[in-house]
Amino acid sequence: MSTLTLFFLASLLLLSMGLAGLVTRRTLVGMLISVELMLNGAGLSIVAAAKCTPASEVHGQLSALFVMGLAAAEATLILAMIMVVQRRFGKVATSEISTIQANKSH
Amino acid sequence: MEQLINPILDTLLAAIFSPLAYLEDLISAYLPGQQIAALAAFALYVLVILGGGTAAVMSRNLVRAMLGLVLTFLGVAGMYMLLASPFLAFMQLLIYVGAVCVLIFFAIMLTKNTAEGEEARLPSPVVGLYGLLAAVVPLGVLAPLVIIHADKLPQVTYGATDTRLLGEGLITFDVVPFELISIILLVAMAGAVFLAWRRRPEAGNDQ
Repeated sequence: MSTLTLFFLASLLLLSMGLAGLVTRRTLVGMLISVELMLNGAGLSIVAAAKCTPASEVHGQLSALFVMGLAAAEATLILAMIMVVQRRFGKVATSEISTIQANKSH
Repeated sequence: MEQLINPILDTLLAAIFSPLAYLEDLISAYLPGQQIAALAAFALYVLVILGGGTAAVMSRNLVRAMLGLVLTFLGVAGMYMLLASPFLAFMQLLIYVGAVCVLIFFAIMLTKNTAEGEEARLPSPVVGLYGLLAAVVPLGVLAPLVIIHADKLPQVTYGATDTRLLGEGLITFDVVPFELISIILLVAMAGAVFLAWRRRPEAGNDQ
């Protein structure tokens, strides 16, 4: 088993843990944590693919850096959304937030 | 005195370390020493990722889940070091552990979702089953594919990346994504401020 396979399996581990969390978590914050797990797995697999094969390693590492930047932007926006949802619904449990309308009539 | 103690110490040390040395000899018959160290570090990081990720996904207390996430980030940073990408490892610590985790902590605290929040109850068995399926199905599909196909790719042995090359890449061939990501960060920040803006009712008359 090659080095590349080992690193790919590690990032697959992160992906599957994040998916399990995304399904089982009850609140938006818990789902945010799971999404961060999956994004980490994506970055790891990109870097492993760039370093272990003849592909350009600089390209791969910069792509992983962009994934990190996107994750930071996404976490910022989700924090704001969680605040808005908390203010409007009083809780962030996903089962309670089933409306997409602006007014409160369900 | 020393002449008395030294042989005893030697015997003790030998008794403690000789099984380890035997094991090391056994392994190094198959693998060179550096590779053993790399494999051991890899196994350690996988354990850290597994433990941290399990805590992040399963813990009923969201603060503990966030600490598990920090542990996972540290494990992935170690993986980046193993991949000879030290700059990425430091960025991982700086961005994820330094910024994203603080944001998540803010989210936990602003929603008062600590020990006795919505997450305190276990998910229902059906949801737990779905979660298990969501974890196992992609793993069962992708892992065999990875094991079959990744070995066929041409592989290289790598050295540490020069950080200067990364900087040069950012201002030459990756300049458009670099500028785009700064715009995205700016838009995300402005959007977050706009969304979280709370207009005070009594301040409305003054403006």
